[in-house]
Amino acid sequence: MGVFSILRDGLARNRLLGLILAGFALFPVLSGIMDEPFWNDLAMRIMLLGMAAMGLNLVLGYGGMVSFGHAAFVGIGAYCVGISQFYGFDNGWAHIAISLAACGLLGLVIGFLSLRTTGIYFIMITLAFAQMLYFLFVSLETYGGDDGMSIDRADFMPIDLWDPLRLYYLIWAGLVIVSLLLMVIVRSRFGVVLEAIRGNESRVEAMGLVPLHFKITGYVISAMICGLAGALFASWQEYVSPDIMHWSRSGELMIIIILGGIGTMAGPLIGAVAFLLLEEWLPELMHLVAPAYAENWMIIFGPVLIGVVLFARGGLVGLLARIGGRRS
Amino acid sequence: MSVQARTGPVLSLAGLNKSYGALQATGDVALEVAAGEIHALIGPNGAGKTTLVRQIYGSEAPDSGSIRLRGEEIGHLSVPQRVRQGIGRSFQISNVLADFTVIENAVIAEAARTGDAFRFLRPAVSDPVLVEGAIKILSRVGIEGRADTPVSDLAHGERRLLELALALASDPALLLLDEPMAGAGPEETQHMIGIIDRLRGDVGILLIEHDMDAVFRLADRVTVLVEGAVIASGTPDEIAGDAAVRAAYLGSDDDAAA
Repeated sequence: MGVFSILRDGLARNRLLGLILAGFALFPVLSGIMDEPFWNDLAMRIMLLGMAAMGLNLVLGYGGMVSFGHAAFVGIGAYCVGISQFYGFDNGWAHIAISLAACGLLGLVIGFLSLRTTGIYFIMITLAFAQMLYFLFVSLETYGGDDGMSIDRADFMPIDLWDPLRLYYLIWAGLVIVSLLLMVIVRSRFGVVLEAIRGNESRVEAMGLVPLHFKITGYVISAMICGLAGALFASWQEYVSPDIMHWSRSGELMIIIILGGIGTMAGPLIGAVAFLLLEEWLPELMHLVAPAYAENWMIIFGPVLIGVVLFARGGLVGLLARIGGRRS
Repeated sequence: MSVQARTGPVLSLAGLNKSYGALQATGDVALEVAAGEIHALIGPNGAGKTTLVRQIYGSEAPDSGSIRLRGEEIGHLSVPQRVRQGIGRSFQISNVLADFTVIENAVIAEAARTGDAFRFLRPAVSDPVLVEGAIKILSRVGIEGRADTPVSDLAHGERRLLELALALASDPALLLLDEPMAGAGPEETQHMIGIIDRLRGDVGILLIEHDMDAVFRLADRVTVLVEGAVIASGTPDEIAGDAAVRAAYLGSDDDAAA
């Protein structure tokens, strides 16, 4: 089976994800017709957050490892770009390579130290590592400390990013590559063993495999995907601060996954769409209905999330599948 | 492999000790399983049978003593290393991959057996090489007909058979079976006895079982464990006639029949 047919097979099994990716490819046409360039900005943010959530989903959804510190990898990915530029190093492709290498290495170290534990201990250790990195960057005055550092749009030769649409399609291409990579990985031998470990680690051991090796590898891949999202995020936001790796950002990624459908291919991306649209529209909606409470849109947002978790098991992907199943 | 390793015992334990505080779970145990024989390990509840199996398997470390597999000391090896050295195990409570289908269970076992589990590209479950090996694994216990069934839909006995198939997948020299008949109905028990009987000669089996009928039909040799220590070891006939065993175990009216 060649690479091409593996990818075709993967796409055929993940039509929903394929549809969303196609939707993002065509979206700028719509926002162009409606003359709403801000929509593209929102779509880019959705794609970036979706990409990071997809990375986390490999360990959280498929591997069953509840990592509560993945925003740290997004942050390190972004800071790699900022710090590279700080020292006059401007090549965007090299930034991405540096981000991938740094997050891969960091994922290896954190994974190696934390994956010996499980359950609540694992959650706490990953959170602790993320907080350490957060406070490290808060204290690094050279790189802006608490205030963060501004970033110039990097030089992605031969793509000149002066046109925001080119940045849009750079991010889109990154998302497509991550999607294809993940849909292949989860069905490979490695991916199937990783999922087996989630359900029954002792049986995998009894087969003569070392679960830790698979978990660490999954953790590293996941960290690198988040690093890529972070590197692209830096170019999109043209700014990075420690806030990007605050623990609440890690929580956001987890909420996005659960909202969209944990352990599914399309879930994190659909979750990112829903999460950011709600975040965008709810305040406006509140402003119309009850202007005095517009700032407290979280009052509605919270119960919506709880509702999805309680009543739409399998998240929005599960909900869509059930609606589709009823129709056919 | 030397001639001696091939003809000598597949498993030999010597001077094995394990205590939990004041409780001696394993007391100076010596035991041998010959290649291809079925060796039953019996004893009342709490005698330390499962604890002994866990030490052989590697999920529990003995305080002292030696564990040799085909003549080689394995006491320092991890569970996966011991599995690759030739130990297969079934557990007291069925231990299979419950979220997967029967064939997927076997495909993963086959990928593990061939040592090629670290691959990231080709889909595993539709890989003809793996599927062919997986069908062989399943047919060894006769459940290849249930290949596409999700494990959650299997009957108890079928789950037990799948677990046995997975334990056999790595072509072990020694198979540790921890109460394979537990919870099975009379028909399932007969079926399981037949399948274990057919493995005789292929693989050395250490069988923990409470069903005395099964033990005496299957075992070439029987070792009796009481309070962590071996009180008798011999052929089924010798064991049945052993006064100490009768006193300590068979004759007692607590759970000999359980």
